[in-house]
Amino acid sequence: MHASHQTTSPDAILARVQDVFRAELDDEALVIGPETGQTNLKAWDSLAHIRLVSGIESEFDIQFSLAEIEQITSVRQFVQLIEQRTR
Amino acid sequence: MNEPKVSTNLSAKLPLHALPWLPRPSAKIRDRMTSLPGEPLQALLFLQSLGQAGWGEADLRLLGRKINGIVRSAPPNFAAQARECGLTPARILILSASTAAHIADALIGTAIRFKLLLDVAIAEYEEPEPWLDRNAVELKGNPPDFVLVASDSRMLKLASPLGDEAAAAQVVAAAIARISRIAEVAAAATGRPVIVQTLAGDPDAIRFNMDLGLPGSPRYLTDAFNHRLAQQARQDSRLVLDVNALANLVGEAAWSAGRYWYAAKYPFATSMVPLYADNLMRILAAQMGRSRRVLVLDLDNTLWGGIVGDDGIEGLALGNGSPLGEAHAALQRMALSLKERGIILCVSSKNDEAIALHAFRNHPEMILKEDDIVVFRVNWDDKAANIKAIAEATDLGLDAFVFLDDNPAERKRVRDALPSVAVPELPEDPADWLPVLQAAGYFEQSGFSTEDQLRAGFYKANALRTAQLERIGDHDDYLRSLGMTLSITPFDAAGRKRIVQLLSKSNQFNLTTRRYSEAEVAAMQTNSDVFTLQARLEDIFGDNGMISVVICRQTGSSWEVDSWIMSCRVLGRRVEEAILQRVVQQARLRGITEIVGRYIPTAKNGLVRDHFSKLGFVQTGDQNGETVWQLVVSRYCEKNLPVRVDLRQE
Repeated sequence: MHASHQTTSPDAILARVQDVFRAELDDEALVIGPETGQTNLKAWDSLAHIRLVSGIESEFDIQFSLAEIEQITSVRQFVQLIEQRTR
Repeated sequence: MNEPKVSTNLSAKLPLHALPWLPRPSAKIRDRMTSLPGEPLQALLFLQSLGQAGWGEADLRLLGRKINGIVRSAPPNFAAQARECGLTPARILILSASTAAHIADALIGTAIRFKLLLDVAIAEYEEPEPWLDRNAVELKGNPPDFVLVASDSRMLKLASPLGDEAAAAQVVAAAIARISRIAEVAAAATGRPVIVQTLAGDPDAIRFNMDLGLPGSPRYLTDAFNHRLAQQARQDSRLVLDVNALANLVGEAAWSAGRYWYAAKYPFATSMVPLYADNLMRILAAQMGRSRRVLVLDLDNTLWGGIVGDDGIEGLALGNGSPLGEAHAALQRMALSLKERGIILCVSSKNDEAIALHAFRNHPEMILKEDDIVVFRVNWDDKAANIKAIAEATDLGLDAFVFLDDNPAERKRVRDALPSVAVPELPEDPADWLPVLQAAGYFEQSGFSTEDQLRAGFYKANALRTAQLERIGDHDDYLRSLGMTLSITPFDAAGRKRIVQLLSKSNQFNLTTRRYSEAEVAAMQTNSDVFTLQARLEDIFGDNGMISVVICRQTGSSWEVDSWIMSCRVLGRRVEEAILQRVVQQARLRGITEIVGRYIPTAKNGLVRDHFSKLGFVQTGDQNGETVWQLVVSRYCEKNLPVRVDLRQE
């Protein structure tokens, strides 16, 4: 709802996803890329996962399905799903 | 009639879980936080001002985490500094069998709106009983200020055979007994108030239209449980967070949103966290004496439709015959029912006083009568100035005030000029106002005493006394003319509710601001080391009700005044001198040689800084503004006071 229609390029989405990651994981200096995932980002545990999902849902005003919540393990998947939803 | 207004307010479209009575936030909170001051106290005050807006769950969490970070890394004397700025620390322990940790930050972010610096401890995913057992020692040593038993339908798993009334009653009784036991253990371990929750309906459960009357059906069990829980809570002096009412407010399906339970065992949807947190903080704030007590109403287009100066009394929309008039009448009815709960009603309006009062007195559809309003301020002055004048006239702090006005510009001006006054945003259409105002819950009360019903009368009588003083001139002659009788007794069961209320609500005439629960107050009655006193005051204008409470604790042959509270509405009537006289008499009888007084400063009790000095105590200590005073009993001289003291058995 916010400014989603003008910031739907993958880079712009990634920047906003990074903002959410920084906020939810309480790490102002965190830098993420498409390859960032549960395997290489230690703070991304199962408790953080639901916070990230909820933070991204509210940032982009979208909703993920239960199956998607289970399947998402990387930033790339987040960005792809956001692209689909906000197109 | 008045011209249609330009739409400037989107609140009409906001759902209640978005807290539409709060101003809408501008930008994202992370962008606003880039201008956070470096100095911790300044940073906290900045976050407090940010916290006044209606943030969503994710932003609220960020806000809470930031506050928590500042508090945790702050220097040791920080709590005292924050207290001076009106921010009071409070700790809550949440016992939950589901997930609860995810709401901690949002609670902290919400608490700052209520001037509370909240610290949250959580026991989750576990039945509360074993947890309390394991942690009993630690709880006793460092008790939280509040305990919340956050039960939900998944923890209690109410189930019984369909159609069997006796079995259903047994299941409900067992669940109530379980919650009571948990609350009892928590109260015993901490000595602090315990909050219990009603159950929201389980959205996964079958619900046929007949089910409310069918013993054993989920609807029947939940309904019976909630009813019994609230009754039991009243009986045991527990506090109630009515989660079921919140779920009904937004719709059960929206409240529970199964996906969060399936994915993470969250008992309700994340988007509902702001509403839940706001309600929980209301209960805490009410316990700490921070609920609102005064409603200031605008007239034109608020109490009635139209502008009385332009439209005349006959052109106003009010009551029968006009849909808009019905909406304004409904608002008046709501104000009247608030008055019955002890809320003080006042009017502030930009109008010609004679014209406005004429309409107020003579419009046939007026539900509020002149007598219902304690103070009228009808003039062309700035409304903020008028609200300040009302605060002075009623002797109540601005943070007890709610200001209701249809005009967004007036609202903003008052909010900017008087940040401690609550100014609800209103939907554009008066038809939509009441649900928003009711959901805002400014006037939350955890108990109800007959004093509440009489309060408006007390303030009205005060205005009459002021008129008498003006007539008589000399203050002592005036006091004698009041024919005051002070009835003093030790604490007893009949006075307990009001004693607890005075202890928990009084902020100004309160020497130490120590809060005690009902159980603690009850225990004082039988403790031989504690001297207690409650005082009621009557005069020719009426009964003022219970106006003062004193607690002294004995060590050897010395009494320390643990708490001394007096209602500000009897200030300047030498009542405190009469009470001291009584305390001294009692001290003499019991061989007490000295009375020690202590003043602990807060943001609100500057009024009594010199209390002990005025009563003839000598200062013996001063540490960071906290002062200690002594009165040698043998040196006290009896005074001839304009107050007759009526003694009951002691």
